[in-house]
Amino acid sequence: MRILLVEDEAPLRETLAARLKREGFAVDLAADGEEGLYFGREMPVDIAVIDLGLPKMSGMELVAALRKDGKKFPILILTARSSWQDKVEGLKSGADDYLVKPFHVEELLARLNALVRRASGWTRAVLECGPIALDTTAQTVSASGQQVELTSYEYKVLEYLILHAGELVSKADLTEHIYQQDFDRDSNVLEVFIGRLRKKLDPDNVLKPIETVRGRGYRFAIPRSN
Amino acid sequence: MSLRTEVGGGSGESALSVASTPAQPASSALERPPARGRRPVSLQTRSLIAASMALFAFLGLSGFALDQAFYESSLQQLRDRLQGYVWSYLSGSDVTVSGRLVLPEFPPDQRFDRPQSGLYAGVSGKNVSWESPSALGRNLPFEVQLEPNQTRFVGPVETNIGGVFVFSQGVDYAYGDGSKSVRLTFHIAEHQSALERQMQVFRRTLWTWVVILGLMLLAVQLGVLRWSLTPLRKVERDLARVERGESEQLPGHYPRELEGLTETLNDFIQSERYQRTRYRNTLADLAHSLKTPLAVLRNQLDSGEDGERLRRLVDEQVGRMDQIVAYQLSRGATSGHTTFAAALELVAPAEEIVRSLEKVYAAKNVLCEFDIDPGARFHGERGDLMELLGNLLENGFKWCGHRVLLTARRAGPIGARRPGLELLVEDDGPGIAPDQVEHVLQRGVRGDEQVKGHGIGLAIVQDVVKAQRGQLGIDRSPELGGARFTIKLLAS
Repeated sequence: MRILLVEDEAPLRETLAARLKREGFAVDLAADGEEGLYFGREMPVDIAVIDLGLPKMSGMELVAALRKDGKKFPILILTARSSWQDKVEGLKSGADDYLVKPFHVEELLARLNALVRRASGWTRAVLECGPIALDTTAQTVSASGQQVELTSYEYKVLEYLILHAGELVSKADLTEHIYQQDFDRDSNVLEVFIGRLRKKLDPDNVLKPIETVRGRGYRFAIPRSN
Repeated sequence: MSLRTEVGGGSGESALSVASTPAQPASSALERPPARGRRPVSLQTRSLIAASMALFAFLGLSGFALDQAFYESSLQQLRDRLQGYVWSYLSGSDVTVSGRLVLPEFPPDQRFDRPQSGLYAGVSGKNVSWESPSALGRNLPFEVQLEPNQTRFVGPVETNIGGVFVFSQGVDYAYGDGSKSVRLTFHIAEHQSALERQMQVFRRTLWTWVVILGLMLLAVQLGVLRWSLTPLRKVERDLARVERGESEQLPGHYPRELEGLTETLNDFIQSERYQRTRYRNTLADLAHSLKTPLAVLRNQLDSGEDGERLRRLVDEQVGRMDQIVAYQLSRGATSGHTTFAAALELVAPAEEIVRSLEKVYAAKNVLCEFDIDPGARFHGERGDLMELLGNLLENGFKWCGHRVLLTARRAGPIGARRPGLELLVEDDGPGIAPDQVEHVLQRGVRGDEQVKGHGIGLAIVQDVVKAQRGQLGIDRSPELGGARFTIKLLAS
């Protein structure tokens, strides 16, 4: 998942970014509203976390500008103001959720997961496609009830594919939404991940969960169960 | 896996808004709004302008009417006088047997004999033409022939000596044995200067008095005005004394018309003073209550504690400080029972909040229903209403299965200046056990305990309700089966 984090307070921005990266997000950082707008427009963002009190362009304006641009990714706003009037204003400008500072990072992660899931049409925390179940909160995967051990990049690739189950996902999509910009984008790496995922999820080669669409990308082939 | 130390970065901002938010309404209440455009004309000037205009019109018109009336009556007098001269001439004249006209030896007025005297006489008729000595060479309009007993009064007629008024009368003179008669027309003319002089004298006197009268009335008006504005000046002086802190409120008695204003001002002064005290107290409370966790932290640092224990302690105290700030902040922002409370309608804010909550709790698919009496109104600040509705509805969304019901209706007597309001929020969740209700309310009041669910939000609701002099109750919803929060705000 590619996340845009717009926060002017440097210590908070850096610690949050570090944590989000550890949780498997590709993070774009912006320190003010204008920078945030640039990233929001130019990068294939999946979700954004926007502080309301930003220099140059307020968070509220930024959210409104992104929505006006037709950006549909979920937005969570961070605010120090806890009054309902402020919350309502923030959500009215186009945000999908809010979190009042100070907050626990776990709370933020849970909300982000829920928003990402909701944006791709999933309502429950466990994404089930036939015998394969991916638990977004625990970040675990099971096939036919058996726990499957995955590395964090394998998990991220699978999560992205299952979130968009049934849709064609190009290699470019996968790399953009999963990798940090500085990561080596050699497409061989991706093929290796997909190969390993197939082996781990479907050792007997009967389910065939991940389809290769020649020259275009991949598709998670098992339909959603819920 | 706790990363709560990061939270410190965010709390800097919230600490900042503690200082700024509550102070804002207080300062804006003291500042005067910038004057827009020109200052409206003062009451005294308005009154004076209006009175002078009315006075000017009234006196001007009556002066004009008097002038006209006097002119008319002078003309009538002139006509009568000229007719008198005609009769004098007639009675003194005779016609000989041969039909010749003989005029009196002595004219009725000496001026008929003096040239340029301004008074002229003439007789015209068939073969007859006579003019008084004064009229010689004056070329007066004495040619008109009138029927017997017909009279005519014209003027001013322009002649070579200026405007003149002419009275003419036709007569039928019988002479001889009475079988013969001659038709004559007698004319008397007077130069207009005599009338003009008369008018001039009259006008000078008239307008002098009109102006004197006008000035006197204006002076009286000014006096009356100053006298009736005295109470307003007194209010101004008294208010200035309140402002300087020399007195607590507006003292004494004022005229009936001002009593409403002064009473409201007193209310306003009182509520402003109350607000200030409350902000001060909130700030003091905030400072004091933050000092305890700070002291704990300092002690622990000084005692050389480190590792996991310190980490847990910092986490605990940061959480506590966060709660304190949130609670005191909301308490400071609660405005409570204000003098000038707008009557707020409930549907629009409730809808705004529900739309927000539907976003946040989208996964739950909550069905939130309204049953709002169109006459229900909340008397207070919009922020307070939003807190009440927001916290109660969020609570409902958080704990419900799928349904939340918001009911609002008027309460109390119909005629009350501010009708009461009853707000109910129910859900179909697990509800709160009767023996827990007291505990939940208590926790709400203290607002310093980390409770999942009914935490700080309920404390804020209770604060608003208390400031509005209302009541908050919790029981089981008879319709939905979950918790039911009831708020009763009294009429006044």
